[in-house]
Amino acid sequence: MSVIVNEVRGATYFDSIVLMRISRQVAAMAGVEEAGLMLGTPANKDILRDAGILGPDGEAAEAGDLILALRAKDTAAAATAMAVAKRLLDAPRESIASSGLSVTRTIRNAVREMPDANLALISVPGHFAVAEARKALALGLHVMIFSDNVPLAEEAAVKREAQARGLLVMGPDCGTAIIGGAPLAFANVVPRGDVGVIGASGTGIQEVTCLIARGGRGISHAIGTGGRDLRAEVGAITTLMAIDMLDADPATRDVVLISKPPEAAVARRVLARVAQSRKPFTICFLGAADLALPANARAAATLRTAADASIGRTHARAPASPPHAARGKLVRGLFAGGTFCSEAQIVFAQAGLAAASNVPVPGARALAGARDVHVMLDLGDDEFTRGRPHPMIEPAVRDRPIAAALADPAVGVILLDVVLGFGAHHDPAGQLVGVLGKRDSRPLIIASVTGTDADPQPRSAQVQTLVDAGVIVADSNAEAAELAVTAVGGAP
Amino acid sequence: MNLAPSFRGAGEACEPGIRPAIPSRWIPDSQASPGFRNDGEVVIRIRRAGVVAAEFCNTSGDAEVAAVFERSFYLRADDLFVCVGEPAIGNGPLTLLADMRVPMLGLRPGQPARIAGNRIDIGAVTFTCEGWERWHPPAWPRAAAPAVLARVRDDVMRRAAMDAPAEGFGRVIADAGAPRDAFARIARRRLTRLQTWLSMRSVHEPSQTSPVRDVVGTGHGLTPSGDDALIGALALLDALGKRSAHANLARAVDLVPPGLTSPLSHCFLRVAAAGHVGESLHAAVSSIVRGDADAAIAAIGEIGHSSGWDMMAGIVTALDAVTSRNQPVYPSIEVPQSERF
Repeated sequence: MSVIVNEVRGATYFDSIVLMRISRQVAAMAGVEEAGLMLGTPANKDILRDAGILGPDGEAAEAGDLILALRAKDTAAAATAMAVAKRLLDAPRESIASSGLSVTRTIRNAVREMPDANLALISVPGHFAVAEARKALALGLHVMIFSDNVPLAEEAAVKREAQARGLLVMGPDCGTAIIGGAPLAFANVVPRGDVGVIGASGTGIQEVTCLIARGGRGISHAIGTGGRDLRAEVGAITTLMAIDMLDADPATRDVVLISKPPEAAVARRVLARVAQSRKPFTICFLGAADLALPANARAAATLRTAADASIGRTHARAPASPPHAARGKLVRGLFAGGTFCSEAQIVFAQAGLAAASNVPVPGARALAGARDVHVMLDLGDDEFTRGRPHPMIEPAVRDRPIAAALADPAVGVILLDVVLGFGAHHDPAGQLVGVLGKRDSRPLIIASVTGTDADPQPRSAQVQTLVDAGVIVADSNAEAAELAVTAVGGAP
Repeated sequence: MNLAPSFRGAGEACEPGIRPAIPSRWIPDSQASPGFRNDGEVVIRIRRAGVVAAEFCNTSGDAEVAAVFERSFYLRADDLFVCVGEPAIGNGPLTLLADMRVPMLGLRPGQPARIAGNRIDIGAVTFTCEGWERWHPPAWPRAAAPAVLARVRDDVMRRAAMDAPAEGFGRVIADAGAPRDAFARIARRRLTRLQTWLSMRSVHEPSQTSPVRDVVGTGHGLTPSGDDALIGALALLDALGKRSAHANLARAVDLVPPGLTSPLSHCFLRVAAAGHVGESLHAAVSSIVRGDADAAIAAIGEIGHSSGWDMMAGIVTALDAVTSRNQPVYPSIEVPQSERF
């Protein structure tokens, strides 16, 4: 017999998206027949009553109260679901209360409290970031600047200042780093090892470090540089310092360098420095052609080949039975990671297929006015995230474009990335499966999952969730793009 | 240069389950910003203030922190709520914008605040109004021809079917089929009644029984979808210069007793009824009346998770009511006799 349980919270305020996410999660739990999480207004009580989930506690709620109402198949299922719901509602407060972290208001006070700290991670409005970075540098701290919107001239100046002090500035807009095994910001749990990574791209670092980890090797350090370090105005200050550091680091045997193609003069300077090293380098300048590399360096066209090369693996993975799109012949790539979007465009270009994007790589087309072509969207770009969380944090940002692609008969393949790790959503695959739903006729869904089994969201479980829902899961983003090319009749 | 020793404290591998901190907390200190006190207290300058929020700061009295979010917090003084937030949240009549990182302020719900002399004191944090700008939305643009408005309305409905979140009124107005759940069924019925009531503007006077009372407090979110829809409808009527319809709806909203929705949402409703709207809604409605559906949808997309599309549902409902399209939004839905007013 069904059981109705209500929990009422007085004068509690949550973001709407948090309430809806919790409501969806609870409704999807085993044994739960119906669930709702709404303010206790008379109108909402009508709705909950109509849905058959309003109990006496809910009936007594007032307009400003929050009602968590559910109906489950039995008492045990109801109790489990309610416990999960309460935990989700309390999670933010509990995490702060139990973290044991102290809050200080200045970098100087933070250093007083933790005198051994030697790195400051700065995430402030962009126009203040450099001021904070300078304070950290003055205190002898390396700096990782998570903030974006820092003027280019200020970036160059603070990096020169750091260089003079022998300190590293990672960023601005540096989303990922792994230093001495400690993941910083959006990063994954990977084993310590002997491959060093230098990257201008957060998701690029994540993909390469995870592929290396899943290939059986580990990471010594992964150093983020920020997306503009290889611009002429900055002159690769951080990249060159990172090469110095990894070159001198006895724990690092191989180095992978990931970036968009740098300006020619900067590329020459970087490659000249690489040539001085005795260590092997893998250079992945995504989209670059005709690189004149020194003898100790090899080129990698994609993140996957960069990871493979760094661990000495040179095989092409091909599925036993390549998929074919049954309806439509266009591919719609909907990416949370900007670098994945770029990499997919490169794979399509290599296959001779035209693609359009909101962030086109050289050779790809701009989205405006593009018709009847494959489309690769970076949904983490500003135009999609203004006023909203990044899709890596809140995958629901991707729901609407996915729904539109599912409904478009011209779309034969939807290409997706799922990014795990610290900072990412706790169950992106589960959320994605909920959006895909159960449709008799839908495009092929091809996805890659960036992460490891040691991540807070174990990769194997995330992959299984997708596979169970009929999603084709590739080992890497590049392979997913290649499968998409094959599925629409191209040759990767 | 040896990397590992140079990163003191980075040390050993991070154990699974130990989360690194993603910093999102900041507050200016005395070195960065002259004028900041060195006694451990922090002074933050308010950059811009909406009309109602500015009046709030010019009064004297007590308030309390009602809610704290990642980028904003709410102060409550009786039935008035004022939002203090980072610039990215956008301007609004009840909004004070300041350069700050809210989580770093250490605020908590229930904390007392004191407003006096154009400053707000909350514990060790002081907000000052020196040099602030008052924010007012620009005037509404001239409305496009009825045919253009009809086309924009249809474009918006098509996009709502794909883009509006499943939980809100935006999808309710766009879904062509039978209502998928109790919420959609009830929401459709109430929006239809609201539209019919609005279209009868010349003969109907606001009263205690207006369908506005049924729409208020309906739906998900911190501000229920029905409240957002009413705010959208008010803005559209104002923008089109439909004074009588706007006045009737505003009066009906004013007559809504507090217990029908949350205190926070009730405050927003009253301010909207007084003719004040936020920046993104103003941009959306301006785009609608100019005939630019894409710009309207882009602006709506900047308003929360579902609130923007909830407002759009109200905009479309009001547009249908006051233009030649006097049919209910959902002609297939019969309004039971018992629910007719």
